[in-house]
Amino acid sequence: MNCNEAATLVAAYADGEIDGLRSDLVKKHLLGCGGCTAQYQSVLALRAQLRAEVPYFSASPALRARVHATLEAVRAALPSRPRLATDRWRWLTGGALAGCTATMLAWVLGTAVIDWRTNEDIAVDAVATHVRATLNNHLIEVASSDQHTVKPWLSARLDYSPPVQDLANDGFTLTGGRLDTLERQRVATLVYRYRQHTIDVFVRPQSDHASPPALRTVRGFNVAHASGSGMDWLAVSDVSADVLSPFVQRLARAEVAP
Amino acid sequence: MSDVNRFEELVLPHLDAAHNLARWLTRNPDDAEDVVQEACLRALKYLGALHSNDARPWFLTIVRHAFYDWCRRNRPAEIARDDGTAIEMAIDDAAIDPEQAALRSSESRLLANAVEELPLAYREVLILRELEELSYKEIARIVDIPIGTVMSRLARARSLLQRSPLVYLIGERTSGGER
Repeated sequence: MNCNEAATLVAAYADGEIDGLRSDLVKKHLLGCGGCTAQYQSVLALRAQLRAEVPYFSASPALRARVHATLEAVRAALPSRPRLATDRWRWLTGGALAGCTATMLAWVLGTAVIDWRTNEDIAVDAVATHVRATLNNHLIEVASSDQHTVKPWLSARLDYSPPVQDLANDGFTLTGGRLDTLERQRVATLVYRYRQHTIDVFVRPQSDHASPPALRTVRGFNVAHASGSGMDWLAVSDVSADVLSPFVQRLARAEVAP
Repeated sequence: MSDVNRFEELVLPHLDAAHNLARWLTRNPDDAEDVVQEACLRALKYLGALHSNDARPWFLTIVRHAFYDWCRRNRPAEIARDDGTAIEMAIDDAAIDPEQAALRSSESRLLANAVEELPLAYREVLILRELEELSYKEIARIVDIPIGTVMSRLARARSLLQRSPLVYLIGERTSGGER
């Protein structure tokens, strides 16, 4: 084997990709050739340096929690009993008709509907809505960090005008808003970002509804409630409760005049 | 076994690998997590297509697709720039002269920076080989290129790193090397 032949094989040899006979030939050539040996060693040296100095980015606990929450949401949408043949057939038909994306959507929508029917619980409904928006990449219908853009957009589509504040100075950046339906009622949803987390805040006029508890955990998401400024405020996020509760209380107090 | 259980058993163990790849492709922590989350949803959707015990390359293929879709939406310029001779230009432009590099405080950041600055096509092959320790065959499948192209991209990635002023230290360490 000459250098020309070896040149193309040296890296593969260093990568352990050369077998048997050819491996012996390369090895033999390396013993007698300084140039190819140097090339071989430079691959090994680079590898050693890469593995020693270049970070391996493992998944953060926050990401793991996010994935688990998604899995739980999907699991909750599936029937808990062993799946019957008819169920599988229905699932397949759905997939064939609407495509896989639509199936995912149907799963999650299904969760929302089931939860809503069996458990008239706004916190569960809010989490389902939050998950649905996240899964569909449909968090925001009006994207703006400017409260004076988001507020008129929402007011024009609702029969009330929710107070909108940007608390970017405290780390809660307003990223936009959208419309949702909670308990068959159109509600304004304000979307905030806090570090890597998304916070959905559902706002609707205060009513005779029994107030949900100030804080709940549903499927790994925290749901914090507060009343103030004539509105009911419900925040849903995977941020910790000690961040979410003060945040929603602060929004409800609406310290900044709308 | 439900799809979710199957996902937890087969795919979830490779979440670190998925995130590492996404992080090196996006070069941004938040974007990497979004890409992984999207990849998990897709993996759940297509779980039926996962047959044997090759869950890691299978999942990484999905992560890579999720990244390119994300990139087309969010950074179309990056993909457009990432082909042909433009790659060479990008490398030269991005190069920092050795003196400046020497001023950097942490040596290990230098190599990481050089890897980050590799064009996408070379970066992904290098990460899959050197950090994920996948075989040429697996890389060829993930990136959807022939094995010969895996070898040539890998060789190019290595030579760019070895030539990069950011990692001029390597040349000195391997005395008798190309330098």
